[in-house]
Amino acid sequence: MSRWISILWLAFLFSIPLWMIDLYVLHILINTGIFVIAAMSLNLLLGYTGQLSLGHVAFFGIGAYVSALVSLGFDLELTDTYTFVFDAKPVWIAFLSGIIAAGLFGWLIGRVAFKVRGAYFVIVTISFAEVVRLVSLNWIDLTEGPMALNNIQPFTLGIPNLWEMTLYQKIPNYYLVLVVAIVCYILIRRLVHSRIGRAMIGLRENEPLATSVGVNVTHYLVIATVISAAMAGAAGGLYTHYFRIIDPDIFLFIYTVTMVIMVVSGGKGTLAGPIVGGIIFGLLPEILREFAAPEMQWIIYGIAMILIVFFLPDGIVPALKNWWKNHRSKRTDSAEMDAGT
Amino acid sequence: MKTVKSDMSEVLLNVENIAISFGGLVAISDLSFNVHKGEIVSLIGPNGAGKTTAFNIITGFLKPNSGSITYRDKSLTGLAAHQVAKYGVVRTFQKTSVFDGNTVIENIMMGLHLNGRCKVWEVLLGLPRVSIENTRLEERALEILDLVGLSNRASDMASDLAYGELRLLEVAIALAAEPALLLLDEPASGMNPSETASFMKTVSKIRDEGTTILLVEHDMRMVMGISDRVVVLNQGEIIASGTPKEIQNNPKVIHAYLGYGDEDA
Repeated sequence: MSRWISILWLAFLFSIPLWMIDLYVLHILINTGIFVIAAMSLNLLLGYTGQLSLGHVAFFGIGAYVSALVSLGFDLELTDTYTFVFDAKPVWIAFLSGIIAAGLFGWLIGRVAFKVRGAYFVIVTISFAEVVRLVSLNWIDLTEGPMALNNIQPFTLGIPNLWEMTLYQKIPNYYLVLVVAIVCYILIRRLVHSRIGRAMIGLRENEPLATSVGVNVTHYLVIATVISAAMAGAAGGLYTHYFRIIDPDIFLFIYTVTMVIMVVSGGKGTLAGPIVGGIIFGLLPEILREFAAPEMQWIIYGIAMILIVFFLPDGIVPALKNWWKNHRSKRTDSAEMDAGT
Repeated sequence: MKTVKSDMSEVLLNVENIAISFGGLVAISDLSFNVHKGEIVSLIGPNGAGKTTAFNIITGFLKPNSGSITYRDKSLTGLAAHQVAKYGVVRTFQKTSVFDGNTVIENIMMGLHLNGRCKVWEVLLGLPRVSIENTRLEERALEILDLVGLSNRASDMASDLAYGELRLLEVAIALAAEPALLLLDEPASGMNPSETASFMKTVSKIRDEGTTILLVEHDMRMVMGISDRVVVLNQGEIIASGTPKEIQNNPKVIHAYLGYGDEDA
């Protein structure tokens, strides 16, 4: 049953560029897809381990900046006489560097931050994101600060010197984002259905009990943070090479909040939750733009959010699952009664 | 009647002179006792005697101010809780404590954490051994559910279980961690007499399969019926220790539970 749903879903997603001729719509879908990946990565941390990271955008931004800088190359005046020169590298190396850099920062933050938990963890992550934003704003030699890094290379596919394709167009970028999203989804699904994912869920559900059966809290929280950060970094890399310009605004707190909204409204701790939430809150502002004044758009956006949190506190996906379960059991009940009479 | 195998067999757990205080409150002033392999030892005493605190210290949830805990010649003093579990010392909790949001079998599989070996990268790559291990853990989980008699509830949510079943599930989760020494903190509280009777059988069965048991319990019928030895704690000190029969007739114990008649007056 659910297998067929996923196959239909995939077929639908892969077919969109075939019949959707409006490039603007594709652009919105790419943008939404990037945020869905970020939301999925946040869900691993927030949904499965139960730790609220309000600095998640930092990993996204680090992935974006590192990927941009590695692909552009840069030089740093380390001393008066010595300048460190970093040559531009192919985009796929840049993309991987961004993922690795974000993962490393995830490890660092995980190590430091999980010494303190709960509210303190939230504060540490917010501060981390703010520090990274200030660095990107003020380290002008490296990041160009508010002048932004621009002319960033788009992705290229193919074999060097033989056949290459540079992804300037929307359609290949759409497929690239889709493939990365699917890979992230599969990785997360494998993880949460394994012993490692069970340890994470155990920590969320009942930490003392989990430790009493031998789960090393810090170890598993750090694993979750590293993987989550690396995926956010991948989303950042996609963003960079698609939009081809980034500035320190990428680290704004509102992006973290958007990711949290996507995860919570869709259903935290479910695989489909961040996708559903991400699609709704990624597309909603764009759909509203068609027929509402800007002020109204944000009001409707806010009301939608409040309604979801108020009526479906566990999120949309768990609510649908429950509804489906009740619906089914009701049907079998009445079938049994019919058979009885 | 039960045979007392104390002193003859190997000492599994040795608690020596542990003391702990919270601020000005002395919870345990000086506690020493040991548990032999294959025994069921009960730790009893009035409320606030320091039984649960002793459990917390042994299993690494609290650090003692002084004293030492030795398990099979290895020191457990100062180890973190998850490390203690690795040695094979596993506890249950006084307040019902399961993974509420998961099914019964998932609860057991979480308890089987130390039984699995697969690394993160193996999981991410989806290697075949990961799913082989998963199947193995699932089968083991079903065996454990069988042992405690919850097999028919395997796919129900833990939060849907009745109280007595929840207490069994807790023990099953602890058993999944393959303890050599199992510490049960008031496992029978809230059970009705027939549930307690069948629970006593389960505990004996667990012991017969080779697990040593340290029990904290208020239900005296259970304590006296099942224990090889009883250690009585009052106000952070041991006031008596011996076979259930010796304890029942010990005047100090009666004093701790009931008070002297008019001696203080």
